[in-house]
Amino acid sequence: MAMNTESRRVLRKLVKNPTAMLGIFLLIFFILVAIFAPVLAPPEPGKDPFKMLPAKTAEGKMIWSSNPIAPDRAHPFGVIGKYDVWYGVIWGTRSAFRIGLIVSIISSLIGIVVGSISAYFGGWIDEILMRITDMFMAIPFLVAAMIMTTILGKGLDKVTIALIIFGWMQVARLIRGNILQAKEEQYVLAAKALGIRDYSIIVKHLLPNTIFPVIVQISMRMGSLVITAASLSFLGVGAEIGYADWGTLLNYARNYMLQLDKSWFAVVYPGIAMVLFVLAWNLVGDALRDIFDPKMRA
Amino acid sequence: MLAFIIRRLLILPIILFGVTLIIFMMIWMLGPERLIGTYVKSPEALKSEKSVERLIQKYGLDRPAPEMYFKWLGNVLKGDFGYSNVGRQGVLQSILELIPYTFELALYALIPVVFVGIWLGVIAGAHQDKLLDHGIRIFAIVGWSLPDYVFGLLVLLIFYSYLKWFPPGFLSDASMKVLRDGPWKHYTHFVTIDAILNWRFDILWDAILHLVSPLLTLSYLWWAYILRITRSSMLEVMRKDYVRTARAKGLSEKVVINKHVKRNALIPVATVSGGMIMQLFAGTVIVETIFARPGLGRFTATSAVTLDYFSVIGAALFFSLILIVTNLLVDISYALIDPRIRLS
Amino acid sequence: MQKKLLVLFACLLALTLFAFAAAKNPDTIVSAEYGSAESLDPHAEWDNASGEVINNLYDNLIKYKGQTIEFEPMLSTAVPTVENGLLRDDGKTYIFPIRKGVKFHSGNILSPRDVEYTFERGFLADNSSGAVTIIIEAVSGGAFYSIADWFEDYAGMPLSEAFDDDRVPTSPEARAKMIAFYNEVIDPLFEVDGDNLIVHMRNPFAPFLSIIPKYAAWGSILDSQWCIEHGEWDGKADGWWKWHDRTPEESALHMKDAGCGPYKLAVWDQTNGMVVMERFDDYWQGPAKTKTIIFKAVVEYSTRKALLEAGDADVILVDPIYRYDFDNNPDIQVISGHPRAQVTSIHMGWRVKETSEYIGSGKLDGKGIPPNFFTDINARAGILHSFNYDALIDDLVNGLGKRVPTDLPEGFLGYDPTLPVYAFDLSKAEKAWKAAWNGEVWKNGFKLVAMYNAGNEVRQTACEMLKVYVESINPKFQVEVLGVQWPTYLKATREMLCPLYIVGWVADYPDSHNFFSTYYHSKGYYGARHGEDYAAFAVKYLDPIIDAAVIESNVSKRAELYAQLQKILLDNYIAAPLYMPQGLFVARKWLKGFFPHLIRSSGDSTPEFYYAWKE
Repeated sequence: MAMNTESRRVLRKLVKNPTAMLGIFLLIFFILVAIFAPVLAPPEPGKDPFKMLPAKTAEGKMIWSSNPIAPDRAHPFGVIGKYDVWYGVIWGTRSAFRIGLIVSIISSLIGIVVGSISAYFGGWIDEILMRITDMFMAIPFLVAAMIMTTILGKGLDKVTIALIIFGWMQVARLIRGNILQAKEEQYVLAAKALGIRDYSIIVKHLLPNTIFPVIVQISMRMGSLVITAASLSFLGVGAEIGYADWGTLLNYARNYMLQLDKSWFAVVYPGIAMVLFVLAWNLVGDALRDIFDPKMRA
Repeated sequence: MLAFIIRRLLILPIILFGVTLIIFMMIWMLGPERLIGTYVKSPEALKSEKSVERLIQKYGLDRPAPEMYFKWLGNVLKGDFGYSNVGRQGVLQSILELIPYTFELALYALIPVVFVGIWLGVIAGAHQDKLLDHGIRIFAIVGWSLPDYVFGLLVLLIFYSYLKWFPPGFLSDASMKVLRDGPWKHYTHFVTIDAILNWRFDILWDAILHLVSPLLTLSYLWWAYILRITRSSMLEVMRKDYVRTARAKGLSEKVVINKHVKRNALIPVATVSGGMIMQLFAGTVIVETIFARPGLGRFTATSAVTLDYFSVIGAALFFSLILIVTNLLVDISYALIDPRIRLS
Repeated sequence: MQKKLLVLFACLLALTLFAFAAAKNPDTIVSAEYGSAESLDPHAEWDNASGEVINNLYDNLIKYKGQTIEFEPMLSTAVPTVENGLLRDDGKTYIFPIRKGVKFHSGNILSPRDVEYTFERGFLADNSSGAVTIIIEAVSGGAFYSIADWFEDYAGMPLSEAFDDDRVPTSPEARAKMIAFYNEVIDPLFEVDGDNLIVHMRNPFAPFLSIIPKYAAWGSILDSQWCIEHGEWDGKADGWWKWHDRTPEESALHMKDAGCGPYKLAVWDQTNGMVVMERFDDYWQGPAKTKTIIFKAVVEYSTRKALLEAGDADVILVDPIYRYDFDNNPDIQVISGHPRAQVTSIHMGWRVKETSEYIGSGKLDGKGIPPNFFTDINARAGILHSFNYDALIDDLVNGLGKRVPTDLPEGFLGYDPTLPVYAFDLSKAEKAWKAAWNGEVWKNGFKLVAMYNAGNEVRQTACEMLKVYVESINPKFQVEVLGVQWPTYLKATREMLCPLYIVGWVADYPDSHNFFSTYYHSKGYYGARHGEDYAAFAVKYLDPIIDAAVIESNVSKRAELYAQLQKILLDNYIAAPLYMPQGLFVARKWLKGFFPHLIRSSGDSTPEFYYAWKE
C-alpha cells in the first residue's frame, strides 16, 4: 500500500493508543449495527421502521399492557411500555447516528460560515455577527428547544431542527478564534497581496488549517446530542411516543425505575448502548485531537 | 480593563433585548387559538364559543406580535413582568422566590464539580496513558454519557428507597413549619446559611440531608467534563517550553506541576465555566423534578411546555443575565490569571 | 455496667422499631399529588387540585348523602323540593333556609346575606377560567353562559366596550347601563328574605341543585364581611365592573380563605407547591379528627412512590397503569373499582373542514377521506366494531374501567346497563366497511388521522389499537395516529379539523344533562364539533329530547326521555364510549376513613379529610 508519511504517522499514532482503538472499534460496531438494522430487527413491511408498534407475544398476539415483560425467547431484551427493547435498541442506533450527523454537520456548516466571515472581515460585520451569536447563546438551550418543539410539535425531526438552530454558536466562536489568529500569518498576507479573492482565501487556505478543532468538536457532540435528545424526551418534548430511540426507551423505564427487578432490562440495555456510543465518540474525538493538535506535533 | 467592562455592560441590554425578542416572536408565531392553551387547561373550561373569543381579547392574543412585545416591554420597565400561571403569582415574584433555591443548589454543586474534577484531571494528566489515567477517564465518561435522570432515579432508589438516608424534597415538613412560623429570620434566603445564622443546626442538618442526592446527581455529570478539560490542558502545558526548562533545572515533578502546570491549565477551565454554569442550571430541571425541589429549572421547563409566555420570557431573561454576567466575570478572571492575554 | 447498657440499647432499639410500625406523625396527613392548585378563589378556577383544597376550606348550601348523589342539608337547613314547598313556581324559585350559629374562620357568623353576596360576587366576577359559567347557565335557564353575554343581551352593547382597560366606564350611558344591569337583572336573582335565601331563576333548570352541593368548589359560601374588608366587591351597584374577570392574583381569595369549612388555610407555599391546612376547632359540625393536612405537588411518579413506601406520604396519586406496583407491600392498602364520573370515548366528525390537514387528499382514493366521510352510518359502524374494548380495559388500565353503553357514567339518571354495547367484531366491521359508500371504501381504501391529546398514554394506545385492527381488515385502509400538544388539539377540535378523535369528559355536576348535552347536543361542547351534517341530524332527533329533559322536573319522565335518546344514539352508531374509568386509592394502611365519591375532586383517590384519621 502506498501511503504517504503523514497518513502512516497518523495510523501509527492511532494504533499505539489503546483508548483510541477502543473508540474506533466501538464505532465500527455501531455502524455495522445501524447498517444491518433491518436484518437484526426486521420491521413491519411497508411501515416506517422508526415508529415502533406494540410488541407481539410468541404466538403473535399484540401486547397492549404497559407492564414490563422480562426477556424471553420472543423478546431477547424484554418489553417495556408495550415496545420490544431489542428492536428499540437496534433501530435506536440508526436514530442516534441520524440525529448526531444531521445536527452536527448542518450546525457546524452554519457555524463555519458565520465564524469565518466574522473573523475574516472583522470590523462591524464581526461585531454584529458576534452580538447575534451572543444572543443565541444567551438563550438557555433547554428553554429554546422546548419552545420550538411545543411550536413545531413532538418528534425527533423537530428536535433536530431545534438543535440545529441553537447549536451553531460554539462552532462559530471556535472558527472565529482560530481564523483571527491565522489571518495574520504570512501565507494569508501573501495571498491577499497576490490579489486572490477573499472567498478563495477563506475556503482554500484558512479553513483547511483551522478546521481541525471543529472536527474534534463534532465528534464530541455526536455523543452529547443523543443525551440531549433523551433529556428532552424526559421533559416531554422529545421524540414522539413510540419512536425507536434509546432515550424513548429509557423514558418508559423511568416509572419502573424503583422496581429494578421488574425493569432492569429496560434500563440496562439502552443505557449501555448510550454509554458505549458516547464513549466511542469521546475516545475518537480525543484521539483526533491528539493527532490534529499542531502543538502536539512538535 | 475598565473600558472593556463598561463596553460589555453597555452591550448587555442590547443582548437581553434580542433574546426576549427572539423568544417572544417564536411563541407568538403559534397564533391566538394555540396560545389560549395557556389559559385553558381542559376542555370543560370552555363552555361556549364566546369564551374563547373573550380570552383571546382579554389577553390580546390576536394583536400583532410587535405591538404585544412593546406592550410587554413597557410593562417590564414599570416593573410588571406579568402573571405566571406556573408560579400562581407574578412572574417577577415567582422568579425572585425561586432564585435562592436554584442558586444554592447550583453553587454548592460547583464545589465538588470543580474541585473533584480538577483534582482527578490533574492526576489523570500527570499519569497520562497509564492505567490510572484510563480508569479515571472511563469513570468520568460513563457519568457523562447517561442522561441525568437515569442517574438521578438510581440515586433516589439507592439512597432513599433502600437506605432511607436522603429523602427527596427541600426540607422536612417540621423544618418548613419553622421557616414559615418562626422563630426564624431570613437573612440570605439560603437555607443552609440562614440555619447557621439562626443558630438552628437541626435545620442545617435537615437541609444537608436533602441536598446530598440532588448534588450528587447534578455534579457527577460535570466531573467528567471538568476532568477532561483539566487533563487535556495539563497535557498541553506539560509539553511547553517553560515546563521543560523547569524540569531541566532539576525541579521536582511535584513542584513543576503545582507551580507551573496547574496555573496555566486552569485557563481553559475558566473558559468553559461560563457555559458550564448555564448547563448546571439546565441540569437542575431534572434534579428538581426527580427530587421534588422548587427551582428555576423546573419553573422554566414547565412554562416552556405550557406556553406560559410571560413566565418563559422572564425566566429566559434571568438566565441570559446570569450567563452574560458569568462570561464577563470569567473573562476578567482570565486576564487576572494570565496577564499575557489581551482583552480584545 | 455493660449489661445495663445492653439492656438500654435493646430497649431503645425496640422503641425505634415500635415507632416505625406506628403511624408517622399521627396528627398530620400528607397527600402527594401530581399538580398543585391554581387558585384558592372558589370562583376563579376549575381544576381538580384547586377543588380539592377548597373543598376543605369552605362549605356549601347542601351536600351529598354519604357516597350517593342524593342531597342533604348543609348550610341550608333543608333541601328545596316540590314536596316540602321550598321549590316553587314550576322550578323557578328555590328557597334555602340558612342555618344559624355557623362560624366562619374569621369569627363572623353566617347569615343569608353571605349567601346572596357569594352568588352575586361570583356572577359579577365571572372569571373567564372559572366555573361560575355553569351556575350562570343554570340560573338563566340555559340562556347565557357568561355575564358578558347576559349584559350584551340586556344592554345591547358588549361588556368589553362598556369600560376600558383601567376599568373606567367609557361613557355615562355605559355606566348607567352597567348599574341598571346589576339592579334589574342580577340583584333580583338572589334575595334575602328573613332567615332565607331565595333564588329566582330566569327559567327552570332541573339540574340546578346538582351544581352547587359540597364538592363543587364554585358552590362554596364566602364570608362576605371578610371579603369586603379585604378589598373584594363592596356589594354596591356602582363600580361592580372593577371586579369583573380579574387575574387570579388580584383576588383577595387567591391565597387566603374566607370560608367556614372544617379546615383553615395555614399557608399556600406556591414555590414549594405545598398547601398546609390546620383544623378549625369551631367548625359547626364539630372539629375534624386530624389536626394538619398537607398537600404536596410531586411531579415524578417514582418519587411519589418512594415517599409513600417510606411513610413520608400517607396517600398518593397513582395512575391505573401502575395499579399492581403495590401488591407485595404489607404497609400499603389499595382500594379500587369504584366508578368515576367520567367517560372516555371515540368521536367522529361527520363533516370536517375541507382545508383540514388531517384528511389527506380529501377524496376516496386511498390517500385520504372526503370531508363528509362519517356521514355514512356504515363508515361509523366500521370504526366502532374495530375496537378491542376489553383489551383496552384489561390490559391498558389494568381492569380499572367499565364498559358503558353511551357516554354516561354508571349511577347517573338514565344509565341502563341492559343496553347493548358495540362488540369488537372484525367480521361485522368488514361487512360495514364493504357497505360503506357503496363499496367505494372497500375498493379504494382510505387514509385518515386519529388524534389524541399528547401525554395521555391511554388515549394514545387506544388510537394505536384502532390503527392495528382497522388496517388488518383491508391493506388499503390506513390510520395515522397523531398525538398533539394541548394547544394544537384545542384548535383542531374547535375548528372541526379532525375526523376522528378520542375525548374525555369529567362531570361538572352529577346530572345526565351534563353528559348528554356536552356530547350529543348540536350546540354541546363536543356535539358542536361534528360538522353541519351532524348538527342537522341532532337538531332533528336529539336536541328536542335533550332540551325537554333538562326542564322536566319529574324524575321518571326524564328517565324515559333519556331511554329514548340512548336508543337513537345506539342505533345510529353516533359514538362509542371506550370505558368509564374506575378509581384507584393507594395509601398507607394506617390511613382510615376513606370513602370514594363520584363528584368529589380526586374523590376516587383521596379521602374527604374531615372524616380521615391515622392510627
